[in-house]
Amino acid sequence: MRFRFCGDLDCPDWVLAEISTLAKISSVKMKLLCAQVLKDLLGDDIDYDKVTKLTADAKFESGDIKASVAVLSFIFSSAAKHDVDSESLSSELQQLGLPKEHTTGLCKSYEDKHSALQGKLRETSLRLGRLEAVSWRIDYTLSSSELKEVNEPLIQLKLQAQGAESGSTETTVVSVSANKFRVLLAELKQAQARMNALQ
Amino acid sequence: MLLVLSEEHKEHLAFLPQVDAAVVGEFGRIALEFLRRGTNPKIYEGAARKLCVPVEMVQHGVEGLMFLMTESSKHMISEVDFLDSVLVLGFGEELNQTLLQLYLQHHSQIRSILSQLPSNLPAYHNLEWRLDVQLASRAVRQQVVPMLTLRLLLTGGGNGGNDRSGRVLQTDPSTLLHLISTLEAALAAMKTSHARRIFRNIK
Repeated sequence: MRFRFCGDLDCPDWVLAEISTLAKISSVKMKLLCAQVLKDLLGDDIDYDKVTKLTADAKFESGDIKASVAVLSFIFSSAAKHDVDSESLSSELQQLGLPKEHTTGLCKSYEDKHSALQGKLRETSLRLGRLEAVSWRIDYTLSSSELKEVNEPLIQLKLQAQGAESGSTETTVVSVSANKFRVLLAELKQAQARMNALQ
Repeated sequence: MLLVLSEEHKEHLAFLPQVDAAVVGEFGRIALEFLRRGTNPKIYEGAARKLCVPVEMVQHGVEGLMFLMTESSKHMISEVDFLDSVLVLGFGEELNQTLLQLYLQHHSQIRSILSQLPSNLPAYHNLEWRLDVQLASRAVRQQVVPMLTLRLLLTGGGNGGNDRSGRVLQTDPSTLLHLISTLEAALAAMKTSHARRIFRNIK
């Protein structure tokens, strides 16, 4: 059976198993649990005490709590990844056996946070060597040990980027003469024009 | 199979009958905590002061108990064999039962801790990817070059399970298709009759 929220693939077995665990809590508590899981996916910390309180009525053990948080995370992130609208998500979840009230609660939360989730997922997509900061300084060289009157401007560029392999910030300092810098600027402006044409 | 305990080990464990059963239970708990977290000499000193015995005796007793537990869990010996091995030490029946209970409660945990020890090859942790299309470069405009960038995250590599390392790879679509077909062939190799025969005989 192909499900759109799983990317037109079969639903994983563990999701099927844990959906029946989710059906054990009431739909009101389910909606609050969804809110907590969405908070976690959007980058805030999840409040585990609240989650434990919510699942205490249904006497979930720690394994069950972890499983229900995991299955909700999977459903939300996978549905946002494949850009599934909430009606399809609702019908597919009901096909999998999640009761109607739980499904409506879940899909309402999904719809509210749909674009925020997609924004967060876009931010965390793989990017190598992200440029973090650029700073520059222009110096004017008066004289040097080689030549008495130099009289040339010089620009120093400091680029702070994330290392491609390591992921930690690396700083590169380059000093560029006026002519070379003019060439650099012209090329970058051409690239920028090309990028603007795509927007 | 029976455990064969060395003389030194028996000497260390000979300390145990001299204390009450509650203390033995406490030692058992300390020993298991040490297996999980590493030793803490302050606890030895505290126990030695309370029991009025030298610190080394307490230390040897606890370490002897730890070794007994790890050896028994390592070989997965049955209850009967465990009791027989412990009989050699000449402890009382109650002490033997306490040790047996300790073993039964914790042997699966100990096995899982022991199984984490030898991890020398890096193992797959996560794969992130992005699909890009190169449209232009400084030298050539008007291009269409699809590229897939991958970051393979691995754990382990000789330093235990918490060491993460990443490799950045780039591939074009045809290499990617080749990669996929090779990996699928590898998965299909698990289903051949040769592999199935071996799996059936391992269990």
